[in-house]
Amino acid sequence: MITHHPSQDLCLAFVQGELPASLSIAMAMHAELCPQCQQQLVELTEQVGEQALVVESTVGHAVALKNTFNDEQLFAAMINDITVSDKIPQQATIVESPLVIEVKGNSYQLPRALQSVAMSGWLNLGKLSRARLNLNEGHWHSSLLHIDKNGKVPEHTHGGFELTLLLTGQFKDELGSYEAGDFIYLSQQHSHTPYTENGCLCYTVVDAALHFKQGMSKWLNPIGKLIY
Amino acid sequence: MQISTSGDSAILNHSLVKQNMHIDDSQQLVQWLSDIADQRDKQAFALIFNWFSPKIIRFGIQKLNTETMAHELLQDTMTNVWRKAYLFDVSKGAATTWVYTIMRNACFDILRKINNQREDNLSDDIWPMIEAECVVEHQFIDHLMTQQMSEYVEQLPEAQKLIVKGVYFRQLSQQQLAMQLNIPVGTVKSRLRLALSKLREQIGDQR
Repeated sequence: MITHHPSQDLCLAFVQGELPASLSIAMAMHAELCPQCQQQLVELTEQVGEQALVVESTVGHAVALKNTFNDEQLFAAMINDITVSDKIPQQATIVESPLVIEVKGNSYQLPRALQSVAMSGWLNLGKLSRARLNLNEGHWHSSLLHIDKNGKVPEHTHGGFELTLLLTGQFKDELGSYEAGDFIYLSQQHSHTPYTENGCLCYTVVDAALHFKQGMSKWLNPIGKLIY
Repeated sequence: MQISTSGDSAILNHSLVKQNMHIDDSQQLVQWLSDIADQRDKQAFALIFNWFSPKIIRFGIQKLNTETMAHELLQDTMTNVWRKAYLFDVSKGAATTWVYTIMRNACFDILRKINNQREDNLSDDIWPMIEAECVVEHQFIDHLMTQQMSEYVEQLPEAQKLIVKGVYFRQLSQQQLAMQLNIPVGTVKSRLRLALSKLREQIGDQR
């Protein structure tokens, strides 16, 4: 059962379209696996939709009225422009194929939210494999992280946050054990060493400043930067 | 009323919101949408355009700061309303909710263009409007491309390979790479340029 869910703030920011792509993708993939959050997002969307498009704002309304008056011609032209094309998009163009990836001899079907995102090849480090997603969000790095059977991520903390969305399989750390769909958001204070018995595939988003702090790992800090 | 970003007040405001929406209005919107979908009714479109445009402009100015960008949002949103009206399903929610999701998605894609220089229109995948029904193969191309690309990268001379991998696979800046490899930034740039023109040759410069 999924036990880790995104916070209310994240849910609200998500339906308002205010989260960057990396976190929006994580929210979408969580909701696909979590009917409880899915339902909550539907309700929140209804609420923010009404606030944005139904409620009159006294301040905003004055601005909008002025615009409407000044831009009457522009809008008429816009309406013409749009309705000139009678084409209705074919249903088939909206339907996407499931994308299957292969790593360490396993194949996984990726969720819809990741299907148009460009990926780098897999970088293998022992039992860990990482593919970077090219979202171009500066020091926020998003990746797919595969941990093979009996694999472990060295202990590390983060300069910023670390979000892990478990897509397939299970893993454990000092704080508990996790199932597919779990949305694990760790702040800067936390450190952990994920371990998996049977292997797992995760989606991760981290603030790139990250520190490994145990034994050999301390000297291998650049590897930490490679994984996340 | 201010649009609030905090979760609690969003819920508090909800009961007020409900009272503000007249039932007549919401039925009218549904009727217009179905006229657009069934009859390509331009007059219904003009009416729905006028009903939503001040609100979309208001939302656009809040999120995108300028009037020009707000107009772009209006154009993108209403274009999709015209094209996708047939996807609206009244049993799944109000017309305002449906138009809101179209506007929110268009805004997300515009912001991504501004903030991340990406025109990947991810919003359709993040908030899919209808469930995937059948399987088509075209999506595999890009990932085959990625795979093929890494083969080409492997064939580069060692010095160039390091730079390409650093920049594209590890997302290091050219400055960081220069420091790690202990070479001038100019050398990083020229190696990268050489490597890229070689890769371009190999993929036949189709893109």
